[in-house]
Amino acid sequence: MILAVAMAGFRERRRRPAYAVVLLAAVGLGYLAIPAPGSHWTIVSLGGYRGVYNSAYTGTVAALAGALWLCVGGFFVVRTALAQDRATGVRELLVASRMRSASYLIGTFLGNFLVLASMAGALAVTAALMQLARAESTALSPVALLTPFVLLTLPVLAVTAALAVLWETVPGLRGGFGNVVWFGVALIGMIAAQSATAPLGGLGTGLLTDSLRTAMTAQGLRPEEGAIGFMYLDTAPTTFLWTGFPVTAGLVGQRVLLALGAVVVAVLPALWFARLSPLRSSGGPQRAVPGQPQDSSSADAVAYSRGAEAARSTFARLVLGEARVLLAGVSRWWWAVAAVLFVAAIFVPSRALLLASWGWPVLVWSRLGLRGRDVGVDALLAAAPRPVARLLAEWVAGVVFTAAVGGAAIVRSAPEAWAGALFVPSLALLLGLVSGVPRLFQALYLALWWCVVNEFAFLDYLGAVPGGPSPLAIAAASAVLLALATAVTTTRHRLR
Amino acid sequence: MLELVELTKDYRNKPRAVDDVTLRLEAGVLGLLGPNGAGKSSLMRIAATVTRPTRGRVLFDGVDVVARPDVLRRTLGYLPQDFGVHPHLTAVEFLSYLAAVKGLSRRSARRRIPELLELVNLSAAAKRPLGGYSGGMLRRVGIAQALLADPRVIVVDEPTAGLDPQERVRFRTLLSDLASDKVVVLSTHIVSDLETVTDDIAVLAGGRLVHRGSLDRLLGAVAGQVWEMTVAPADVARVQAGHVVTRLIRTSSGVRVRVLAPSPPSPRAEPATPDIEDAYLGLVR
Repeated sequence: MILAVAMAGFRERRRRPAYAVVLLAAVGLGYLAIPAPGSHWTIVSLGGYRGVYNSAYTGTVAALAGALWLCVGGFFVVRTALAQDRATGVRELLVASRMRSASYLIGTFLGNFLVLASMAGALAVTAALMQLARAESTALSPVALLTPFVLLTLPVLAVTAALAVLWETVPGLRGGFGNVVWFGVALIGMIAAQSATAPLGGLGTGLLTDSLRTAMTAQGLRPEEGAIGFMYLDTAPTTFLWTGFPVTAGLVGQRVLLALGAVVVAVLPALWFARLSPLRSSGGPQRAVPGQPQDSSSADAVAYSRGAEAARSTFARLVLGEARVLLAGVSRWWWAVAAVLFVAAIFVPSRALLLASWGWPVLVWSRLGLRGRDVGVDALLAAAPRPVARLLAEWVAGVVFTAAVGGAAIVRSAPEAWAGALFVPSLALLLGLVSGVPRLFQALYLALWWCVVNEFAFLDYLGAVPGGPSPLAIAAASAVLLALATAVTTTRHRLR
Repeated sequence: MLELVELTKDYRNKPRAVDDVTLRLEAGVLGLLGPNGAGKSSLMRIAATVTRPTRGRVLFDGVDVVARPDVLRRTLGYLPQDFGVHPHLTAVEFLSYLAAVKGLSRRSARRRIPELLELVNLSAAAKRPLGGYSGGMLRRVGIAQALLADPRVIVVDEPTAGLDPQERVRFRTLLSDLASDKVVVLSTHIVSDLETVTDDIAVLAGGRLVHRGSLDRLLGAVAGQVWEMTVAPADVARVQAGHVVTRLIRTSSGVRVRVLAPSPPSPRAEPATPDIEDAYLGLVR
């Protein structure tokens, strides 16, 4: 029964567009992780040295890159397993079975893990192909190539799969707020897990750099401090032979413990999940508020009144309607924090407040472009006239909202950030339109915002970092995004 | 007014959904019947301009609305089988939004929304968020939104699903009223719903139109072929294997079986008056 839940979850998500996007990104990552032999780019550097592209080295760098990417990007693919079961009514069917909450959670965890592991598998194949393509070593060793995936990547993916289950069972983390929290947790977690003293080996980077340094020393080279990440070196790195890290019983034990810990994390929510879900004997699906009691007279036919005038233009009302849809259900707490940021930005001009004001609305922006697909209203809108006018009305609503929420910070801290008020809604509109889910924008925007926080000037859409693009360039980029969104809408309309 | 001409719809890697269907519609209700997978929803979606046909034309007052869908959409009321609502909006807010989407003037929207909510018996719940509505109440919101622009063409797919008997009666009465000057295309699995609202019935099977005509003509197809008899419970399987059984009722003296057959299936069989379910099953089985 557990395996059936796991396989159903795996098959369901494997056929979703988000799976293909993350998988393609993983394959692309495999390509980038093993740059051309003469390239100045490298993912692992020890004082200007890197390993020869043999199976051990290509497998290890791809496995590490995969672990890092899949625990962020992959999480967003698997984090809706329980919500999906609830939305489709599958959970109600399971209620009528003998399945226990713990079994259901383990099955969901395994399904998540299979999704992520299949992506890691694609990355392993990419690594093998890249080894042959780079041709520094043509001796393909499956064991050397796959060992780092098994020992480094899969345990980390197990933890990711388990945390996705945990996130879905904690009330505050189920929605978009959980995505934001995950982004922060994943960033901090990845930094901590790269430490040599990370528990149970962390990501395995400590083990890797130790092994690389040992190999260099044995070959008469002087290893310096190791660095992992995409780096551009002044000179192309020099190579040395590395045949893999030692697989010891201690290492295997640590990684097995990490995977078992993931299982515990996945099953832990059974303690409270039973009270929240219908998977219990006394539970049941959420009930709708009953309608007003009817007497027989209320069911008598009422005359249908004919006549309805068409308006010359409904654009202003469309904008109002789209704004209402955008902001419906936003909590008072959200508004309270937004108000505090707004008022503070008026009195205390600062870069920190500017960035905070432009990070806080991410969950609202991420509703743009969904066009009712998240709640099924698209079925009604499909037969409505003027789809492009509706798109533009939604964009205007997004721009007005952005200007209202971030306006104080723009005026007081960075007047050149006005273009950001065009850029962010345009980006959200396009990503929501293409993906049909809010998660893509949430993940990409937070990454972009994080880059601005870390002063990556060329990605600065807010004018918060010296040397960034001009407001006109940002406005032009916004126009391109809006034009793309319009083209997507028009094309879909034609291909309907 | 509305013409569906030689429509064909193919989906990738699936059997043909709609196969060379032609229907010409004037004011009145067309009841569309057919088993699951017969192509009813595909045909409804094409008629509502939601999906393009692979081949064929949809003409509204002579205009090709496959190429120019907005001509029909401005005066179309469409209720799909499955739809959702914005759960945090009230019925009034949701209908106001859709009124703007459909291009209705502000004055008309203000007048029609309360009227329509009264019509579908939702006035008392008009200011409650839709997230708290029951399935039947949401279906009634769907009916109200379909009528917002006082459409000339109404396409409704399974509109009575989830409605209680009183509301079904109310909706059927409304449809009869609307049919006086509007084209109404009504798809349903509830065969008995059609008897009370229309005399014009189309039956689809395997994507093809297998019947279009009056109820009498439909019933005429099985005249003299409907029989009733009482058999022992053990004999039911044998009867089902040899004939199209349209009804089974367990009684104290055995099982009362209603059967379609060109000749009496048993010496004890008595002729019965055909009804729409007999005629429908006779066509699609």
